[in-house]
Amino acid sequence: MSARTPTEPGIATALAALRQPFVAGDQPTFLSDLTVGELVLLEEIGYRPVDIVSGAGSASWNPQFTTAATEGNMWGRAIATAIDNARSGILEELRSHRADGVVAMKFELEREHANLLTCTMLGTAVHGADRRAGSAQPFATTLSARDFHLLVRAGYHPVGIVIGVSVVGFAARSASQSLGLSRDNVELSDQTTALYSAREKAMEMMEREAAELHADGVVEVQLQERPVNALLTHAVEFIAVGTAVCRGPDGHRDLGPEFQLTLEDPPDTTFSDR
Amino acid sequence: MTGPASDDAGAAGPLEIGFQPDRRERATWTSDLTVAEAAAVRRVGMVPAGFVMGTAVMQLAAAGGQLYGQWGGLAGQSWGSGSGYSETFPCAHTYGTGIGFGASVGAAQEHYGFSMEDALLAASLAEGYRLAIERLHDEATQIGAHGVVGVDLFFENLVGSQGTATFFARGTAVAHPGTPSLPSPFLTNASGQHFERLIALGYVPTGLAVGVGSVYVQPNCQARGDFTVPGVNRQIPSAIGVARSRARESLAATAHGSGEGVVNTEWTDRRVNRYGESWDQLTIAVGTAVRRYSTEAPPITPRPVLPLRP
Repeated sequence: MSARTPTEPGIATALAALRQPFVAGDQPTFLSDLTVGELVLLEEIGYRPVDIVSGAGSASWNPQFTTAATEGNMWGRAIATAIDNARSGILEELRSHRADGVVAMKFELEREHANLLTCTMLGTAVHGADRRAGSAQPFATTLSARDFHLLVRAGYHPVGIVIGVSVVGFAARSASQSLGLSRDNVELSDQTTALYSAREKAMEMMEREAAELHADGVVEVQLQERPVNALLTHAVEFIAVGTAVCRGPDGHRDLGPEFQLTLEDPPDTTFSDR
Repeated sequence: MTGPASDDAGAAGPLEIGFQPDRRERATWTSDLTVAEAAAVRRVGMVPAGFVMGTAVMQLAAAGGQLYGQWGGLAGQSWGSGSGYSETFPCAHTYGTGIGFGASVGAAQEHYGFSMEDALLAASLAEGYRLAIERLHDEATQIGAHGVVGVDLFFENLVGSQGTATFFARGTAVAHPGTPSLPSPFLTNASGQHFERLIALGYVPTGLAVGVGSVYVQPNCQARGDFTVPGVNRQIPSAIGVARSRARESLAATAHGSGEGVVNTEWTDRRVNRYGESWDQLTIAVGTAVRRYSTEAPPITPRPVLPLRP
């Protein structure tokens, strides 16, 4: 039996600590929605949780008469504004906490009434031990704690969430067109063009935002394409959200992954509805 | 065995329905840990002591529309007796007039909105959680456990059941053989594997931290998505922001006396108690308060692997 020092990690020391009354220090209580595994990953690369931070934005638009060759400017702007307000809100909270950034964020878009969108963001604000004093702007990222850990180990750091939004209308097919085309295999070129156009405009916006942050690139771009077909509205919505990243001064570092062949079967779920 | 019924049936006084703790003579231990979780707990040096549970059925109080009505007391910027959040959101319709027909004094406010903190609902939920946790804790204490891992804390039947909710706290009590009982067993909502990582990182769980925030929302025209008044609406983000802030504050307050921080917070935002077009914007946060017991934990550097899938 080896004698344990008072702070040696282990369950005996941990339980002994619980016998002592807790004396709160002068540091505020930190809050985090990180799992313990995520906490381990962040501490390993020198980041500590500070608080849970959130932001929310909401906007509505008039979708009517968005059809052939019209660009849903108000519609697209409303979606971008809702997301931007949520992003501004969470960055404002980060500044007030003097935090370096937010990780493992929940990013949600909720739609109501077909023309109202609410964007919410919630995550754990972190302090980084190695953050340079010059990098005054806090960062937000859609990356999970795992991906953030890998990104930092690979020599990069996130600089912000970037978005691209576009809404493009397309022509409705008339009844006769529908009937006439129903026996042919033809491309609906208006709709294909609208999708291309929406994508190009959204990605241009995203790239513009990334350039403003002096980013080297954007990772984990997630897309949401949504066709809207109503009586007077024929359009496609295109939303892109990603994390702009910069390469650190030491450049890219190879993680050198080890190839692994697991011998495990997939887990059996006895009670699948649990 | 259940607790003995009182023989003093003729005694005067109010009926007391006290909490009846689990008094079974346990022949063996039970657990809701998975095999992998149980293995992780054993690697730490602990063994399962028994499945423990706390339950409370509550009638939920909610201020919201029932108390204030949809149109009562809307003249000022805030109302109500407390210092909680409240804000009015006037109708955005002006019908094209210069003076703003909808906003003029005494005019019909077609879609006037307001939001107010629903502290009654938040307190009801917090009390339900508190009772369930306390009863779980009592069961763990009774069987001499040092802690409970993997606590699942939840309630059911909030919506559509006439304002009642049943709160549950369930988990597996664990013990460290040969170590005297603690004054108060620790509780954590972390799984067995996360508990193992927490101990390895130099933190020990102390208890569950719960935060609740609620804001009653009577939406104005913009928050209802009225397409004739499109644009930015502040009411929904404000309600979400305030409910989240309150949950965050109460989460920190419950953890403050027992640990440096809270981890593993399960965060829920939802709309409940829909009365017509209005709702309660509810935020619930449940986490584990932790305390650093060692600063000498060796670094854990995970090795990147790339599984070769068949």
